[in-house]
Amino acid sequence: MAAFGRIDNVAFAVALATVSALVLFMVTAILLLKGPGPGNNVGPHLSMLGIYLPGYDVTWDGAAIGAAYIWIIGAITGYLLAVLWNLTHYLYITAIVVRAAWWRMMAE
Amino acid sequence: MDDTGDRNTSVPELNTQLLRAAIKLNTWLLAGVFACVGGLTLFVMTYLSLYRGLPDPGQYLVLLSVFLPGYSVTNVGAWVGMFWGAVIGALLAVVFYRIYARSIAAQVISHTQRGGKERDLQSITLLLDGNYLGLAVGAVVALGLLVTTNWLVLRGTANESNNALLLANYLPGYDVSVMGSLIGALEVFSACYMLCLLFSFLYNSIVALRGK
Repeated sequence: MAAFGRIDNVAFAVALATVSALVLFMVTAILLLKGPGPGNNVGPHLSMLGIYLPGYDVTWDGAAIGAAYIWIIGAITGYLLAVLWNLTHYLYITAIVVRAAWWRMMAE
Repeated sequence: MDDTGDRNTSVPELNTQLLRAAIKLNTWLLAGVFACVGGLTLFVMTYLSLYRGLPDPGQYLVLLSVFLPGYSVTNVGAWVGMFWGAVIGALLAVVFYRIYARSIAAQVISHTQRGGKERDLQSITLLLDGNYLGLAVGAVVALGLLVTTNWLVLRGTANESNNALLLANYLPGYDVSVMGSLIGALEVFSACYMLCLLFSFLYNSIVALRGK
């Protein structure tokens, strides 16, 4: 069953990490290119991500630092998601096979 | 498999039955995984906000209470947030997978037509269909934007929703109104669709590189 195909942990982690990092870099870059609003710094709200990602702010350096952070977080998250997905399938299918074997044995 | 039919006609018939069960199983499992991820994410974010030692902890995170009844950036609120995160995560996963699952029948038929056998299918590595992934993720995110924006409109706080309005930085034409939510939903759908195409391309390429 292709629907039961395993997710490649490494590929999923790298792909999720790369797309996540790209998204954070792009949302920071968009604000930088638009420039500050009247009487404001650039991206005062987005820069609050610095609470969770120390060193991040809405500057080009900050965008690179944030992208690096998010790459790592995305990779860990992606890897864990893939492991969780594969593990739940493995456990569930194993349970079905064991249960089927048990009923077959009882029938005999 | 049908003993009397030939292979080409009997394979899709068999897969239809198995696919239905597999898709149902996958839906439940994905809902469980997303429930865990959604709940834990909100729980951890709430505690991080609480214990970062800032003068006004969670001044923005607390805005989630507009959408999540009972939520606050407190110890009790973290548990309430975990509950809502889990519920919403599970619901989004069900919507997502029901859309994405439409691509699976084609993948199974393609595999069997390439000469793959059913027993091989248990060990194959999943490849992603970027088109359906984009449709599924785009639909979920666009639906989320539609529901949250129109909830703000319905409760009569559209004019005070300055934080939601910040999305207009990324979604030109978006504002907290019915029309603005439709424009925003369309734009966010397009963005998600393109990102999913990139994600699938990266994932499938790495799988191919690793020789799986």
